[in-house]
Amino acid sequence: MNDRTPAAPPVLGVRDVTVRFAGLTALDGVSFTVVPGSVHALIGPNGAGKSTCFNVLSGLCRPAAGTVTLGGTELTRLAPHRIAALGVARTFQNIVTTQGTVADNLMLGRHALSRAGFAASALRLPRAVREQREHLDRVREIAGLTGLGQHLGSPVALLSYGDRKRVELARALCLEPRVLLLDEPVAGMNAAERARMAEVIGDLRAELGLSIVLVEHDMGLVMRLADDVTVLDFGRPIAHGTPDEVRQDPEVLRAYLGADVQAEDAA
Amino acid sequence: MSDRLLDGLTSRRAGIALLAVTLCLPPFYLDAFWLRIGLFSMAAAIGAVGLALLTGTAGQLSLGHAFFLAVGAYGYVWLAGEPGPGLPPGLAALLAVLLAGAAGGLFSPVAGRVRGIYLGIATLALVFLGHHVLLTADSVTGGFNGRSVPPLTLGGFTFGAGDPELTVLGVPFGAEERLWFLGLALFAFTWFTARGLLRGRPGRALAALRDSETAAGVMGVDVARHRSAAFVVSSLYAGLAGVLLALAFRRVVPDYFSLALSVDYLAMIVIGGLGSVAGATAGAVFVTALPLLMTRYADQLPLVTAPGSAEGFVGPTEAARYLYGAAIVLVLLYAPDGLHGIVRRARDRVRLRRPRTPGTDPVTSPPQPAAAARSKEHTP
Repeated sequence: MNDRTPAAPPVLGVRDVTVRFAGLTALDGVSFTVVPGSVHALIGPNGAGKSTCFNVLSGLCRPAAGTVTLGGTELTRLAPHRIAALGVARTFQNIVTTQGTVADNLMLGRHALSRAGFAASALRLPRAVREQREHLDRVREIAGLTGLGQHLGSPVALLSYGDRKRVELARALCLEPRVLLLDEPVAGMNAAERARMAEVIGDLRAELGLSIVLVEHDMGLVMRLADDVTVLDFGRPIAHGTPDEVRQDPEVLRAYLGADVQAEDAA
Repeated sequence: MSDRLLDGLTSRRAGIALLAVTLCLPPFYLDAFWLRIGLFSMAAAIGAVGLALLTGTAGQLSLGHAFFLAVGAYGYVWLAGEPGPGLPPGLAALLAVLLAGAAGGLFSPVAGRVRGIYLGIATLALVFLGHHVLLTADSVTGGFNGRSVPPLTLGGFTFGAGDPELTVLGVPFGAEERLWFLGLALFAFTWFTARGLLRGRPGRALAALRDSETAAGVMGVDVARHRSAAFVVSSLYAGLAGVLLALAFRRVVPDYFSLALSVDYLAMIVIGGLGSVAGATAGAVFVTALPLLMTRYADQLPLVTAPGSAEGFVGPTEAARYLYGAAIVLVLLYAPDGLHGIVRRARDRVRLRRPRTPGTDPVTSPPQPAAAARSKEHTP
């Protein structure tokens, strides 16, 4: 029932991934490795290719060249639902939830871990009923972990923006992921909500030991949570390293602040 | 708290038992006219539940429901009749339902490729194709005049006018009385299975498809498989409805299974409220019973003439069409979530007045129906 793997999650490796959209090169030879159990941040100015990179990782977008591997498995040719079944979960930049209650959404997150098919559910076979009950228990736990416990029966549409963002996170966690992809988890949140979300993400990593890949514009959050940072600019990786190394990289400053930063520094 | 939960469960059971008893009473008190209305409503409800699953829950627009109803109806007539294999009627009914499901499965590669309004147009082609085949394949379908429907026999009991003669509590049980109970059993089966589907894993996956296919895939839902499964399941229900309709009509004709029938089914699920079993049922009863009642009571309505008379303003059939056209517009304007939504909101209001009862199970609520005006969320 409890599908959490006690062993460390497998290595997520991205090798020379290139994505082109009708002449536009969205990603150009991007490589990085997500160390098991670490938080790896992907940053860059708008249009740098961060979300495209996530779409490649979760199978929504096929790269023109390059490979993505999880442990020994290549993800590049797999359909999204197969990648999900391998334990790669993601959230979206703009909230994507299904109508219904929070519990409905979280139970949807357990789709890949449950078996009940059309016939078993239609006839309400004991096996399907029992499965649903067991998964609901785990959903309650995860809702508690993400602070959604008291909202479990509320329709998602009635929740605040911050709470809906957390529904997405909780739903991703319901997959019992080994790798969690978070696309701007605190975008549009106020300071209090951001702090709470940062806390939750920190806890997750400590308690569940999963690898997290994070796309975020909030540098404070990135610097606080990330172990490694990869910086993209116009689809090209321009820097790698710890948050401190990246912060001082002249290329990164140039990409973020404009070309004449270096000139001013030199002056 | 568990006491209260138990109380809730007991009162729920009692409610269902009471409803079941009430639904068994009409054959003892009402004449054939009312029983026929009930029978057609039950058949329509079964078909509407199928379409509600496909269009309301899974978000795939289908104008081809009449085609799958026809496959069920004609499938039964051909399999059980002469000319045809002349199978035992019970087996023929089962095979006809499966045949409709198979037809849905054959169409599902198309359904897997086109979306939204384009899918609607593609399914429209099915209706025209089906109608043409029904008219021309004389040896199977009987052509323009259709075929008479062999009565259903199960274990020596005929759902028809005699054999064996049957009188229950002083009421002679003819075809309508017997078919009423058959319809009731099939409808109960539909209700039970469809609600199980909607509240279980497949229902959640289908609702996820409707709201965002990309997100559903990322959450582990096999998009292509579920899109075709929705078509197959919907067609199975349509086939079952088709068999019951054929039995109720006693004669199947091609003109009944036209585009207008598909549109009627869409009207049912919109009026009832997209994506819910209870809503589809309510919509089916409304759309089915209205024209029949209008025809019967035409002479007592202002501006409506009795059928057959030349002068006057509108005939009863037209009047019924106007009325349910108006009903659709009113529902879309004032209650986009349909009759089911109106009932739910009224119930919520009552519940708010009373103190809240804790311990209600959040997952037993089926996926919420899509409001008609709701657009899909954009996903990267």
